[in-house]
Amino acid sequence: MRILSETLLSLVGVGKSFKEVNALTHVDLEIKSGQVIGLVGGNGAGKTTLLRLMAGVMEPSKGSINFQDKPVSSMRNKLGVVPESTGLYSRLTAWENIRYHSRIYGIDDEIAWNRVNHFANLLDITEALSRHTKGFSKGMRQKTALLRALAHGPDILLLDEPTAGLDVTSARTVRKLVGKLRDEGGTVIYSTHHLAEAQQVCDRIVIVHNGTIRADGSPEELLLATGQESLEEAYVSLTSDKARARSEDGKKESKLAKWWRRFLTGSTPDYKEVGEDE
Amino acid sequence: MSDSWRFISTIAKKEIIEFVRDWRTLIALIVIPLLIFPALFIALPLLLQSEAAELDAMELEVVWQGDVNDELNTSFAESNLIISYEEMPSGITNLSDIGNDLDRIRNQETQAVFRLLENESGWKFSVLYISTSEASSEARSRIIDAIIEWESGVVNGTLVEAGLDPESTLDPVTWDGNWEVSDAATKGEQAGLALSLFIPMVIAIWTASSAIQPSIDMTAGERERGTLEALLCLPCSRIQLLAGKWLAVASITSAGVALQIGGLLFAITYLASSSVIGIPSVSATSIALLLGAVVIFAIMVVAFELALAMKAHSVKEAGSLLGPAILFIIFPALFTQVINLDSIESWWFAVPLVNILLAMRELLLDRVIVEHVLVWMTSSIIYAGLAAWFAARQFKREDLVASIS
Repeated sequence: MRILSETLLSLVGVGKSFKEVNALTHVDLEIKSGQVIGLVGGNGAGKTTLLRLMAGVMEPSKGSINFQDKPVSSMRNKLGVVPESTGLYSRLTAWENIRYHSRIYGIDDEIAWNRVNHFANLLDITEALSRHTKGFSKGMRQKTALLRALAHGPDILLLDEPTAGLDVTSARTVRKLVGKLRDEGGTVIYSTHHLAEAQQVCDRIVIVHNGTIRADGSPEELLLATGQESLEEAYVSLTSDKARARSEDGKKESKLAKWWRRFLTGSTPDYKEVGEDE
Repeated sequence: MSDSWRFISTIAKKEIIEFVRDWRTLIALIVIPLLIFPALFIALPLLLQSEAAELDAMELEVVWQGDVNDELNTSFAESNLIISYEEMPSGITNLSDIGNDLDRIRNQETQAVFRLLENESGWKFSVLYISTSEASSEARSRIIDAIIEWESGVVNGTLVEAGLDPESTLDPVTWDGNWEVSDAATKGEQAGLALSLFIPMVIAIWTASSAIQPSIDMTAGERERGTLEALLCLPCSRIQLLAGKWLAVASITSAGVALQIGGLLFAITYLASSSVIGIPSVSATSIALLLGAVVIFAIMVVAFELALAMKAHSVKEAGSLLGPAILFIIFPALFTQVINLDSIESWWFAVPLVNILLAMRELLLDRVIVEHVLVWMTSSIIYAGLAAWFAARQFKREDLVASIS
């Protein structure tokens, strides 16, 4: 049985650069067991990069990320990840997709099946497990990806915008699952654009903006720290500086590429700030 | 079962299952390789035979202009030619001058026009036809055959009249005995030579081309469909991921090549039963080395194609990279066919791609030359290692994840 509030994941002085772009700067975070943590931020804020670093699929340029004192990249078997794209194979059934991952985690098919069925009932997807995922709706895909991430019994579940593009009912089901996991003592890191959703689901909210952590605490703590009456106002006051352009790969268009693009498609007007000519 | 092997085999198994679930892939993987050689060696000759028989049975209309010769006339009639006679046209400079007959030959109102003229020095003739028409070419061919036969009779008659023996006069130098038994090479070795001229090329081109689609599907395809990120989050290393995908592509490609070779053996057996070609005689050592050469070649080509496909940001880009890359296989494959294997320098066996193709040719001739084997095996293992290293570099790139978003 896991001791409550044990530190599972710790990020110390983490920075991530893609060539000339600093995607994340000096991030310190401690993830304790039994918490549902919301990473909230706009497009290009650095949420996905932070999740990928925590998932161990990227190495930080600075600092360290440890799962219980060991580099997270060597402890990926303790994590369950649902990327934004869900990543299901359309020629496999939902169960085959789940089984593929659980076999790589070294989980016996029967154990995985029982575990999946437990959550599948909750997500109302049991009957779809034997169907090919080709015709699945976005909601079905998201639910399957969630089951896949849970099949091996991870210590931390990392969800990248799990309700993006889902209808109200599906989004509600996903949130219900996260609540159930919290009740069972699970740890979930939940990235979202929506503050209201984070407030509803998470015990702790981490506001990410322009690659830095702007605030970290419970909704009540955020209100107290900013002196605002609502979380929305608190968020706006914490992220009032202009959001940077999203450029994760840090690539600039070369002169040759620019010339070729213009040669093929004709030139487009160069970008100017409104009122720049005046 | 070790973790490493569990990762690799699970990835490979899933890739293969997913790949063969597409019926179009199954056709490309099983039906085409299996049928290509039987189609080429059995069905095509049968089709050609039936076409030739149909052409032989065809009655062809020929216009005969100028002088008539009874012997030739009889010979024409035996050749299924329907003759209509005309006067020699006026205004032509010589018998090959088509003149006013151009249109009716082009329009195929007649298959050919035969012109014959007797003068004091003998007979002169020409056949007017259109080479782009099979019926016209066939008519010309029958006329020429009949003329050769008639001319032979005329020549023999003249020689006999002059008191000479036609055979010793016209063919004074002759081969003694059966020329077929004077070849020291056995039927099996001759078959090996014939096969060595195209089997290496077919294996090389088929291996390279059949690996393209699965390579793209399992790399750039995964990136494009957004399935790669979830895969990279799993607790296996990138090298294990590469190994799993390599095993899948290599298995799919090997199945294709094996089926193709199976089809080839069936075709050879069929041809051997009709004495067209012998069964190639290749020793067990040569067969083992041949398989080794194919395996090393597959390691190299599949790793290289996986690396190139992983370098691409989309399926389209991967196709644009790998399509032209096939030329690097086709050109050496064609080039290798013309290299003389007798007294070949050993350094040829160190040239990338050419070495494996030359090795296959030599082994099909059942020539196991230790120096050559050492050179091609060592150099090929190095090239395969380099290709695997290049592929590993591509799979370790961090932007594999970042560029998906």
